[in-house]
Amino acid sequence: MDGLTLSISEGEVFGLLGPNGAGKTTTIHILCGLVRPDSGEAKVCGYSVFREMSKIREMIGVVPQDFALYPSLTAIENLMVYGGVYGLPKRELKERIDSLLAIFDLTTNRNRRIEHYSGGMKRRVNLIAGLLHRPKVLFLDEPTVGIDVQSRHVIIENLKRFNQEGTTMVYTSHHLDEAEHFCSHIALVDEGHVICEGEPAALIAQEQTKNLEELFLKKTGKKVRD
Amino acid sequence: MRKFKALIYKDTLLLLRDWPGLAMMFLMPLFLVVLMAYLQDSTFNSINERKIPLLVLNQDRDSLGDAIVRGVCEAGIFKVDSLDEGQPLTAESLERAVAKGDYQIGIVIPANTTERIRSRIRQSVMQAFGGEADSLASSDSISIFVDPTTKNSFKSTILSSIREYAASLQTGFILREVVVEVNTIVPMPIGDISIPNDMVLLNERYARLDKARIIPNSVQHNVPAWGMFAVFLIVVSLGGNIINEREEGSFTRLLTMPCPSWLYLAAKGFVYLLVCLLQLLLMFLVGIYILPCLGLPALELGRSIPALVLMSFSASLAAIGYGIAIGKIATSNQQASIFGAISVVIMAAVGGIWIPVFVMPEVMQLVSKISPLNWGLSGFYDIFVRDGDWTSVLPECGVLLLFSFLCLAVALYYSRRKSIR
Repeated sequence: MDGLTLSISEGEVFGLLGPNGAGKTTTIHILCGLVRPDSGEAKVCGYSVFREMSKIREMIGVVPQDFALYPSLTAIENLMVYGGVYGLPKRELKERIDSLLAIFDLTTNRNRRIEHYSGGMKRRVNLIAGLLHRPKVLFLDEPTVGIDVQSRHVIIENLKRFNQEGTTMVYTSHHLDEAEHFCSHIALVDEGHVICEGEPAALIAQEQTKNLEELFLKKTGKKVRD
Repeated sequence: MRKFKALIYKDTLLLLRDWPGLAMMFLMPLFLVVLMAYLQDSTFNSINERKIPLLVLNQDRDSLGDAIVRGVCEAGIFKVDSLDEGQPLTAESLERAVAKGDYQIGIVIPANTTERIRSRIRQSVMQAFGGEADSLASSDSISIFVDPTTKNSFKSTILSSIREYAASLQTGFILREVVVEVNTIVPMPIGDISIPNDMVLLNERYARLDKARIIPNSVQHNVPAWGMFAVFLIVVSLGGNIINEREEGSFTRLLTMPCPSWLYLAAKGFVYLLVCLLQLLLMFLVGIYILPCLGLPALELGRSIPALVLMSFSASLAAIGYGIAIGKIATSNQQASIFGAISVVIMAAVGGIWIPVFVMPEVMQLVSKISPLNWGLSGFYDIFVRDGDWTSVLPECGVLLLFSFLCLAVALYYSRRKSIR
């Protein structure tokens, strides 16, 4: 990171976009308490990541890029574990799990082990695990990578719904068309700092490009990044 | 508590779904304890309690000869025969039987040995009272034949025991004969002179510092030995479990949740503590109920259950600490499995699990002290063999808990290096 400054308002779907190695995941890791920055300051819901991480952890949900699930456990068992670690009472947790499984169309496969799930099903369970405790802020690190169109559609539509119910979302993705329609605000990041920031439609108009992808290439260049 | 329960639920499920791991932790040690106890039983018996086959030819058939035969029979360490395959024995056939290895020791007591000794005593007494004495009759020696394959140390022990016994018999016999001869000479008869055998008291005790000298039987060695091996074998499963969680990303997710990392390790430790205690319990039950069915002695748990519980907990915590350290240090599941398994096998070999420490060379007996399995085994020896109470296992428990603490400190150091909370 190199002097990256961002401000995300409550209720936004904030897209953190950029090429590989731009610093998107590192930014999310700092905000989740997984990486401690050398200097600077970062706050989530008004709490400092340096001093009040335990309070932040109560309020955030994280959907990592990897399937952070136990393959030998069923979907229900995975969600019972994560919900339990969030400290949710058993009955409330069961109701919440049933409701989310129904929303993400996984009820019939609830008792199948994760190792037997398709990529799309795993992504959906991965997302549910981050939503169990109704977080104020949800960090989504490429939540739709490597899945079919149907699963992607289910995920994005339901995320929009949760956002309307009040969950602030910080989202990274390489699907720029998806980001264009999903995000209320974006920041284009490269080499550890913000290149441009604003509402997607406004940025596209301002830079006189056809879409977000063209804007992205215009701002970050066509050179391949590793 | 809700969080702790959720983590225990997770670790229990992960363990129960890992069938190969469960088989390795429970079935393999059970199989090994039965197999090794059975195979080693005869070896332990030969060291410990097998009677030495002894062939005796008593041609004297008088007081001394009979006393020697009675003595070796009552000594309890010999299996005494006086016939050669049912045939009457001769000095030649006795020597042949020993040379063939059928017997380790043969004793020939020549005819008239008692009478010759009596005659010598009679002449000695007459000389003492100023009488004329015939020239002293020469005495035929009692011959002892020893199997040539017998180890020198063992031969010396046996021969010195026989000499000691013969000397004691000879003293008693001579005193009785002296009294008889004196009474035929002096006008006032004297009574028997008896010299108590215990004039010089030898108080034989096992030295506390020389624990290796106490030799357990096959069951007393193998049950705790393979119990310790089983307990330490959990490092493969525990280490692998920690690495899997890290590689699959679930540990990273847990780090973003309101759950301190010590709680995560405490839950894992709790589940594996139950596994270790269950392993030891099963091993003890095998020692008590299964091994006797194979003709082996039953395991006796000693007189102190608190000592057994204390020892079991300490051994389990040492293994859990080691497993957590491996899980935190290793960078891949494969690395943890290979290093975990090999290190446990080496610690088992050094610690006297396969070959008991008391038959190891002196240098290796010292080296064995670096293995936590040796401390565990030594603690269980205290309970099973020495009948020790909880205070007697405190040194071993202390070392095992220190080992566990050091492992956890290393794990914490590596954990801090890898992730910042």
